Amino acid sequence: MEDYKEAYAAWQQEVKDQLKKRPERKDTFRTGSRLDVERAYFPGKIDNAYIEKLGFPGQYPYTRGIRSTMYRGQLWTMRQYAGFGSAKETNERFRYLLDQGQTGLSVAFDLPTQIGYDSDDAMSMGEVGKVGVAIDSLEDMELLFDQISLGDVSTSMTINAPAAVLLAMYIAVAEKQGVEPEKIRGTIQNDILKEYIARGTYIYPPKPSMKLITDIFEFCSREAPAFNTISISGYHIREAGSTAVQELAFTLANAAAYVEAAMEAGLDVDEFAPRLAFFFNGHNDFFEETAKFRAARRMWAKMMRERFGAKKEKSEQLRFHTQVAGSTLTAQQPENNVVRVALQAMAAVLGGTQSLHTNAKDEALSLPTEDSARIALRTQQIIAHETGVTNTIDPLGGSYFIEELTDRLEEEAFRYIERIDDLGGAVQAVESQYMQREIHRAAYDAQKRLEKEEDIVVGVNKFQAGEEQAPDLMAVDDAFVKEQLHRLKTLRERRDNEKVEAVLEELKAAAENGENMMDVIVKAVKVYATVGEICHTLRNVFGEYTS
Amino acid sequence: MDRIRVLIAKPGLDGHDRGALVISQALRDAGMEVIYTGLRQSPEQIVRAAVQEDVDVIGLSSLSGAHNVLFPAVVKQLKEEEAEDILVIGGGVIPVYDIARLEEAGVEKIFTPGTPTGLIASYIEESVKARRGEETRLFQKPRGVDHIGIAVTSIDEAASFYRSHFQLDIQDVVEVPEQGVRVAFLPLGSVTLELLEPLGKDSPVQKFIDKKGPGLHHLAIAVEDLQDRLTQMKRSGVQLIDEEPKTGAQGHPIAFLHPKSTHGSLLELVERKDESADGHV
Repeated sequence: MEDYKEAYAAWQQEVKDQLKKRPERKDTFRTGSRLDVERAYFPGKIDNAYIEKLGFPGQYPYTRGIRSTMYRGQLWTMRQYAGFGSAKETNERFRYLLDQGQTGLSVAFDLPTQIGYDSDDAMSMGEVGKVGVAIDSLEDMELLFDQISLGDVSTSMTINAPAAVLLAMYIAVAEKQGVEPEKIRGTIQNDILKEYIARGTYIYPPKPSMKLITDIFEFCSREAPAFNTISISGYHIREAGSTAVQELAFTLANAAAYVEAAMEAGLDVDEFAPRLAFFFNGHNDFFEETAKFRAARRMWAKMMRERFGAKKEKSEQLRFHTQVAGSTLTAQQPENNVVRVALQAMAAVLGGTQSLHTNAKDEALSLPTEDSARIALRTQQIIAHETGVTNTIDPLGGSYFIEELTDRLEEEAFRYIERIDDLGGAVQAVESQYMQREIHRAAYDAQKRLEKEEDIVVGVNKFQAGEEQAPDLMAVDDAFVKEQLHRLKTLRERRDNEKVEAVLEELKAAAENGENMMDVIVKAVKVYATVGEICHTLRNVFGEYTS
Repeated sequence: MDRIRVLIAKPGLDGHDRGALVISQALRDAGMEVIYTGLRQSPEQIVRAAVQEDVDVIGLSSLSGAHNVLFPAVVKQLKEEEAEDILVIGGGVIPVYDIARLEEAGVEKIFTPGTPTGLIASYIEESVKARRGEETRLFQKPRGVDHIGIAVTSIDEAASFYRSHFQLDIQDVVEVPEQGVRVAFLPLGSVTLELLEPLGKDSPVQKFIDKKGPGLHHLAIAVEDLQDRLTQMKRSGVQLIDEEPKTGAQGHPIAFLHPKSTHGSLLELVERKDESADGHV
């Protein structure tokens, strides 16, 4: 029997199984004129080449999507990144967003938290609570999730260098709510390589950072198997100015480095790979973006199967979150950003994203107001419920243009990955600044094209309006900083400092002896050791990275 | 002039340096020496680097919202180091309502997203040149209009119009062969009307008439310190027809500015020292 018939039968079987578990959102899907819409569409003649390149939905190489029914079964998770000021204020925004129909939480932390400084550290001057919520200790984390049941939501945390500490706090809060670690769902970003490349919130040098990451992999496969241990991010690489090809290539090269590190640490690939998640950028070039997501899935499936010998389907399936491109938002005529966001989000949906953050129109100016945050969420709800693009799987699949672009992006990105492998892999390429240089070159080229008006940005270098209206902006009230500092001070007086010191000693020893640090970090947060104290302990052992 | 030296700095913990890197490169391409500090610099570190590197300008970039605290801290630190001559500019995600506050605190200029890099480069050039050139000189306001030049095809015909309807008489007629022009002076209050008649086809006045017809030709402003004004205007990018003063029809030093720089009018500057603008010699 020919492969394609087997593959088709396998898909049919999977759909059947899936429908038993979760019926599709509707019994029949129809167009506006009441024409029936099929689950997916295929070429007139399905042959083995089709199976090899595209496959059926939910089947290797997953070009058309990782689920057999995709959005007909379940829409993507609408997950808006939020966080500012104090844990209490952010908790209020979270509960507002959940009330508005958001289906997952996404925590933005302030920079001191992300770089392992307490709010009272001299380095934190001016930054406390600015780009996200300030978390110093478990006490803040308890406030952050007050009245939100961690057994019911999935939470994504944009935290990298101190990911172990925040994950430990999340586990501790869940336990206080009576939720076992194996029940918690969510994602920590935990992708340190792209921090060196593009985002800048690194603490330690690459090697010990990689060790912390593999410690988390090991800990979670044992204790919190439903939690995504990393979100390997092309988002920030793209924001830093890379092309779509570079975003694909560098993200997957970084992913390969994590897989290799974990395998070297003795973990079985199929143990940890199903918990690897990805995070891409939804940018302007509509078709290239859709093709990029499809190429990413096919590339990852091939890499896992052929390069790393993964056996489980789940190890081969690239699951990803998308945020639309913040850097494409303009401070000029900010209302136009709503349209940009809608189009970028549409490309991500046509590319089969598992979750989505749509930016608020005022993000080039400041943090979003509640109004603009709501419009952002509504934008994806409109795509989901009004446009009909969710009624069939991979609606652009089979377009000559899309398929050609998908092939070309894959080819170009694999060429980059080969170059990185020749340099000794992603860790070495980061250390030698290879990727940083490539991205900078692309960013500068883009700027020049813009200034020569080869590229048009509406409202910036063409169609400028006259007088700009001053928009209504969100200002973070600084009064809470004082309160945050006060609470931190009283916490340090109130807690059992002997216990804190003892467990920090224990952490130091674990770090020095190459033991898994995660278990000790969980102990440390439970006695209210702060983010800064834990990170300083590790800084003293590992040193600090400077670019 | 020495190359302009710029320190591009990332104060605070913000890690977004795409803008800082792009600006650094653009300023380098514009011929400046640029030093980039890298991430996570304290105001003290930034000022120390600026003083050590003897820069003319510090460009601060922040996208994290910490600008209100960190930018003024850099300005304050510069004062403490007695290095206020260094120009401080900034950019990033900076809400409009913060810009005035920062400029009040001594940040010279804030550039928001979407600003062309060329604009930033020319702003720096102008400001540094002005700062270096013994500071920008503040001139007295010009004394007034010296004269108005009117291109005519025939002085005789034009003069008869002014005589019969405005009772104005020709005070003097001068030929200036090197400028291809014959000039008649008609005093009118504090101003003089100059009727300009071309001498031959190659005369600039003839060319003017061919192109635009007879009529208003130029406006002459009476100033002191003509030479210094020309130097300063040139430095700040004003296009000059005469870079050095020459002698005008009435024997005073004069110079013309190019209409490209004056929004379309041909302006003449006439030096009038220690005499009232209305008195003719």
